[in-house]
Amino acid sequence: MSWRNELLAVWAVTLRNALMGARNVFFFFELLFWPIVGVLSIGLMSRFLELTEAQASFVLVGTIALSVVNVCQLEVAYAVLLDVWSKSLKHQFLAPIGIRHLTLGSWVVGMVRSLAVFVLLAALGRWAFGFHVLQPGWFALAMFLLGCFLTAWVVGVAVCALITLFGNRAEAFAWATVNMVLVLAGIYYPISVLPDFIAAIARAIPLTYFLDAYRSHYGFASEFRAPIATGLALSALYAALAHWAFLAAIQRARRTGLLLKMSE
Amino acid sequence: MVSSLGMLAIDARDVEKTFRSGWPRRRETQALRGVSLTVERGAIVGVLGPNGAGKTTLLSILATLLTPDRGTVMVLGHDVVREAGALRRRLNMASGRPSFLWSLRVAEILAFYGRLYGLSGATLRRRVDGLIELCELGPYRRIPYSDLSTGLKQRVALAKSLVNDPELLFLDEPTLGLDPDVSVRVRAHIARLRREQGITIVLTTHYMREADELCDEIAFIKGGRILARGTPGELKRQIRLGEVIALRLDPARVPWLSEIPGVLRCVEVDGWVECTVDEAEKRLPELLRALHTDGVVIRNVQVREPELEEVFVELAK
Ligand SMILES: Nc1ncnc2c1ncn2[C@@H]1O[C@H](COP(=O)(O)OP(=O)(O)OP(=O)(O)O)[C@@H](O)[C@H]1O
Ligand SMILES: [Mg+2]
Repeated sequence: MSWRNELLAVWAVTLRNALMGARNVFFFFELLFWPIVGVLSIGLMSRFLELTEAQASFVLVGTIALSVVNVCQLEVAYAVLLDVWSKSLKHQFLAPIGIRHLTLGSWVVGMVRSLAVFVLLAALGRWAFGFHVLQPGWFALAMFLLGCFLTAWVVGVAVCALITLFGNRAEAFAWATVNMVLVLAGIYYPISVLPDFIAAIARAIPLTYFLDAYRSHYGFASEFRAPIATGLALSALYAALAHWAFLAAIQRARRTGLLLKMSE
Repeated sequence: MVSSLGMLAIDARDVEKTFRSGWPRRRETQALRGVSLTVERGAIVGVLGPNGAGKTTLLSILATLLTPDRGTVMVLGHDVVREAGALRRRLNMASGRPSFLWSLRVAEILAFYGRLYGLSGATLRRRVDGLIELCELGPYRRIPYSDLSTGLKQRVALAKSLVNDPELLFLDEPTLGLDPDVSVRVRAHIARLRREQGITIVLTTHYMREADELCDEIAFIKGGRILARGTPGELKRQIRLGEVIALRLDPARVPWLSEIPGVLRCVEVDGWVECTVDEAEKRLPELLRALHTDGVVIRNVQVREPELEEVFVELAK
């Protein structure tokens, strides 16, 4: 496949997801409601508990990261979910494209959407709680966002794989599994407070490292030696694993007939 | 590719497919039990058979949506499992129960799939406009998919299936649920696709008129096996249903008619005597002569071939 066709297929999916997103009010609701509720409740709680400014920043970074990852991974999961909901999955896999086009195309829309959410939450955090996202500088912020986007890609593709493996009834199960993993990533606490075996899981999650790197600029000593490099390496590993899992799930669905079942 | 396969659009041999579903108690459904099918380039072939016969399963395997358990399947010279990618570029499929993303508009759906097949810019625009015109979707191009009627959705599916200018087209019950007027036009359209663009078409249908009218050849499938194969005419002869000579006589009843050699049976329907004979051209003169000799007045005569529907009912027994 030529580069032109590669980009075209990705662009086709990007355009499709963007159009669907723009036309569905509920998608928009999803985009705004929970992130705002998250920042407001965490911010107010930190005020009630009289946390220090650094501690408040710590938890706010966590809730903002969670929102960014969630919005972005949901969009990546739309790579198959939209078609599962509309029962049009087979058309995609009748065309000469790969799953990379579906996931990358959706990821592009996911990044745009979650960036919008981030800007909104940053403004809200600044206005309501005096929290400044740019305090660590542009580079640190960019790495933090990149970490969120990469995590979202991995999670989203994993959800795609689970849905293609177990059918659309597995949707709720898929969300639960991946979100549980996310919460372990030291969203609201440094992983040193976790019991050993959970801390081990947290250390295996790339987002942990990106959170750690970003928070180090708010006065929390980094718990890792090279958090960003470790985060990137782990992300690459999981991205490859998730991609492979999704690919295997599609091949299996072609064998078992699930691909057809999900299209009728 | 200039091999003997070059002339065959489809060459499937001993294809088997078993679905396994259910947990913890597994159910097995043997959907195909050794199906072999060849289709020549440029032909329209109908796959007929009762519900659950394996028609959709067969089409899905040929279109790379399902992998066969056993057997070899070459489509357009490609192996459907090993060379699926190259093959997908050259074929397409539409089904009678179409579904697309609900809030995309007609033109957007076509453009989306067009891009997946590598079209862009002016080429894509021209293709989309052409298909919208071809499938008479002009007034609906900006209507969201979920707001379309069944017939319009079907036309969108047909338009989508032509977006990559396929050499081979699979149509799974293309006129399901369409009103007669639209069905006639869809059929004319399918015939035109073959005539003007030489597209090879494999279709399934439960409307025998449609199969009779459109198909060069018919494969009759039941319980995952192909039971009969041939042109509609050949099938009718093969099944030995005979032809019907219908007579309006005075007096209305002639008891000895069914005893004439070659007459299989006689029944009375609405004042007509319908004699099923092995071969109408041979038996008609004999019948007429015998009636004339007996002094029976013949007021009207009609000769009918058996309908494909009767062949179907016979085979499905
Ligand atoms: N994805 C699937 N998973 C499990 N079983 C299936 C699947 N698809 C088909 N089957 C089973 O395989 C058999 C053949 O089904 P198929 O859909 O090919 O029949 P068909 O000839 O197209 O019937 P119809 O005329 O009703 O469309 C049926 O018994 C059906 O229940
Ligand atoms: Mg069917």
